[in-house]
Amino acid sequence: MCSTLSFSQGIGSQQKDTIYKNKYGLRVGIDLYNPVYTFIDDSRKGLELVGDYRVSGKLFIAAELGYLENTTDEDFTNFTTNGTYIKAGVDYNAYENWLDMENMIYVGFRYGFSSFSQTLNTFTINNDPFYDDISEVETGEKFDGLNAQWGEIVLGVKAELFNNLYLGFSFSGKKIISSKQPNNFKNLYVPGFNRVFLNNSGFGINYTISYLIPLYKKPKQ
Amino acid sequence: MKKIITYTILILFILIAIGGCERDEICIDPITPHLIIRFYDTEDLETFKPVNNLLVKIMDKEFEVVTTDTLLIPLNVYDSRTTIVLTKNSKDSTQLIQDTLTVNYEVENVFVGRSCGYKSIFTNINYQNTKNWIVSKEVVDLQIENEDNAHLKIFH
Repeated sequence: MCSTLSFSQGIGSQQKDTIYKNKYGLRVGIDLYNPVYTFIDDSRKGLELVGDYRVSGKLFIAAELGYLENTTDEDFTNFTTNGTYIKAGVDYNAYENWLDMENMIYVGFRYGFSSFSQTLNTFTINNDPFYDDISEVETGEKFDGLNAQWGEIVLGVKAELFNNLYLGFSFSGKKIISSKQPNNFKNLYVPGFNRVFLNNSGFGINYTISYLIPLYKKPKQ
Repeated sequence: MKKIITYTILILFILIAIGGCERDEICIDPITPHLIIRFYDTEDLETFKPVNNLLVKIMDKEFEVVTTDTLLIPLNVYDSRTTIVLTKNSKDSTQLIQDTLTVNYEVENVFVGRSCGYKSIFTNINYQNTKNWIVSKEVVDLQIENEDNAHLKIFH
């Protein structure tokens, strides 16, 4: 931002043919949502690394890599989902930057894959209220070797706070493509996908902080 | 250009709003089925015959007295047996007559969904009963998986 202020003096001048340059490189960062959430509520522990690489003026190849352990408490079940995930895709910057600014308002697409386990901690049988007095809590089993793949549409913003340091916010809508389900249970939560709603859809919110490792510069297109 | 920014921000807010308002799923699927008993006339095997002032007692808990030809009995999923005491003419101490129906079964837990959790179904059912006012019975289903039809016919 500071560099822009000094640059903006150029607007009024006669240098109509000023060529602004864009920074190209690898941007790596971390998701802030999980650490903050873990601080408030320890039913969720996770870490997500984010990265993107600029391939043209507006197009970025992007990926996220994460680990998540999440406990869901429903009326009749309590289960813990534990696993890793990867998402890969592209971001398209729809924002026309002034001068040499490097901010983004983007739309993106991701393919996501997760490998995980579900542990059914406890469950109660949904039975006639007649037996409410003697309803017993039963301990379930662990379901290993599960997976899911999904597609994601991402809308987000990234702003350059300081030189090469970016703060990002994004919202994603997701839809499961296929999933390996446990026997006599269901993948109600998938790492990287979050809660799986009835029609196999889901959504997510990310706050990221990332740093651009500039590799080279090219004239603004 | 400003339009794009405005629209993007607008879409973001709408999506967040939709996400936040996502309704909780409510359990509407069938849960653990009851044992459905229907009472028939022993002289006309096709005709329903209500039991007069029937008192149902399970595990020392009494239900409301009813005159009915259909009973929905909650089977105990925490045991492999439910004993049901059926008292006819329960409102008249000189006329009342009692029978005991014992249901033996195996319990199997089946996952239904997020909001409903697990339900139980009953297999390998067998019935034993005393015959004070019950004349005979006919087992319709050896397992209870749903409440679509009666599982036991009792003739009296």
